[in-house]
Order: sequence, then C-alpha cells, then structure tokens
Amino acid sequence: MNDKDKKFVMGGLIVAIIIAILAPFLASANPDGLESAAEKVLLVEEVEPMFEAPLPDYLVPALGESPLGGVISIVLGTIIAFLAMVGLATTARWFKSESNGN
Amino acid sequence: MHIPDGFLPLGQAAIYYIITIIALYFALNWAKENLDEKRVPLMAVLAAFIFAIQAMNIPIPWGTSGHMLGAALVAIVFGSPWAAVLVLAVVLTVQGFFFGDGGITALGANITAMGLIAGFTGFGVFKALKNLNRWVAIFIAGWASTFVAAISITLMLAAAGTFPLDMGLIFMGTYHAVIGVAEGLITVVAILAIQNVRPDLLPWNKAKSSPEVEK
Repeated sequence: MNDKDKKFVMGGLIVAIIIAILAPFLASANPDGLESAAEKVLLVEEVEPMFEAPLPDYLVPALGESPLGGVISIVLGTIIAFLAMVGLATTARWFKSESNGN
Repeated sequence: MHIPDGFLPLGQAAIYYIITIIALYFALNWAKENLDEKRVPLMAVLAAFIFAIQAMNIPIPWGTSGHMLGAALVAIVFGSPWAAVLVLAVVLTVQGFFFGDGGITALGANITAMGLIAGFTGFGVFKALKNLNRWVAIFIAGWASTFVAAISITLMLAAAGTFPLDMGLIFMGTYHAVIGVAEGLITVVAILAIQNVRPDLLPWNKAKSSPEVEK
C-alpha cells in the first residue's frame, strides 16, 4: 500500500468514525420503515431474538440507554466491519495467488 | 429494513441462506479475479462507512425513519454488483451477530434483499442511465436499490404469511420511496467525494489513468 492509499484509508476511516460518534445523538429514534410497516400490518406475533447479541440495539448493556453506549457500540462495529472486510477481501485474493502459483 | 427473527418460517429462511451462499460463491470468485491491491482498502473503507451510516437513521414523515443500504454505492464504485454482495454480507453479519440488528435466522434473507437484490438493482439502473447523465443515474440507482429491496422484503414476508401483500406493499413501498431519496443523495455525495480525492479509484476514470495500472 502506497502513501496515497494509506491517506485514503485514514481519511475514509475518520469520516466513518465521525459518523459513528454522531449517530447516537443525531439518528432518529423512530421505528424504521420495516418496523413501522410491521406495527400496522403484522399478521404474526413478535418473538424474542434467537440469539443474544453482546451489544443489543447498539447499546452497552452495563451503560443502559446512555448515548455513550451507542457511541462505543457503533465505533466498535465500524472498526469490526472494516477489519472483517479486509480479512474477507484478502482471503479471496490469497486464493488467486494460490491458483496462479500452480 | 432488517428482518428480525420470527418473521420467516425456518424452511423459507433456509432458502434465502442457500441463495446467499450461492451469491457469495460468485462474489468471492469476482473478488479473486478483480480485486487489486489498492481496492481492498477501498472496499474496507466502504464497509466501515456503510456500517456507520446505517446507524444514522434519518427521520421521514409518518413517525418513521430509514437508513441507507449502500449496495448501489458499492456496486457503482466497483463496477460490479458482486462487490455489493460482499460488503453488505460483511456489514449485515456484523450487525446481526454483535448488535442483534436483523435476526440470525433472517440473515440470509437480509443479505439476499439488501446485498444481492439492492446491488443488482442499483448497478443495473446505473448502467442503463449512465449515458444520459452520470450523477442523475447514480441518484436514481440509489433510490431504486432501496425501493426494490423493500419490495422484495415485502414479497418475502407476504410469502411467509407475515405481512398481507396489498397493505404490506403500500406501507413498505411508501416509506422506502421516501427513504430512497436519502439513499440516492448520499450515494451521489459519497461518489462525488471519492471523485474529488481519488478519481483513479472509480471505474470510469480507469481508462484515463497512467499506463502502469498494474503496479
């Protein structure tokens, strides 16, 4: 990765993390389109999630509803998404060099 | 737009998992052949950006809100809808497993709608309209990706007996026709930003870049 690419990655990550920090304060708490539609037309009973997520609803359980929990969750998620994407894309490319080697 | 657990019977949820696995097979093959070294970081930055912006719900009328999907953005920037499948699969998996956003049983359906269907819709609309005006095409592609993904989720839920087809289409269609405007605008702004700082990363500038493209 050259300097130009490094700069782009840093700049892009900074933009993403600024959005992540602002999101708990600026995001609308209204139900989203699917939730809103479900409130009006749902034909089945709502159920509990099948799987207990560690940071449910982008909040840190120990911090309750405080926006700080939201900031921590969304910043953490942004970094996890970044790293997971690097991992998956690098793995896909690694298979290329493998097949080229033969 | 994330489908929670309990909205799809397990048999139908499994079908969408199978569709997702097949789509990921094609998407990984695309990545293997087409992702060069400098576009891996671009893809990762877009995954981070889309995760963050999906948490930023924008209010719309009727006490409702919505967030962008990002599939059209990724498909246009990479010149392939398979890139959108990969990025949205990562984002939706992180959201489901860490934050309980979208049911784990519905993850296949969510990737099918918001990655595969939104990605192909956004890319197809962009390709069809780009010769008229690139930026108008990008806006409409963003709008259409959200709208068509919402319609596809409504059809999944109607097939599952979770939503009535007619009222489901009216509510989901109306809400996401408005949310799609935000998707279109953010998609234009994001691509304009890339065009300003790194035009060489965009597919339509590739031909103009230096001859030593490979290294």
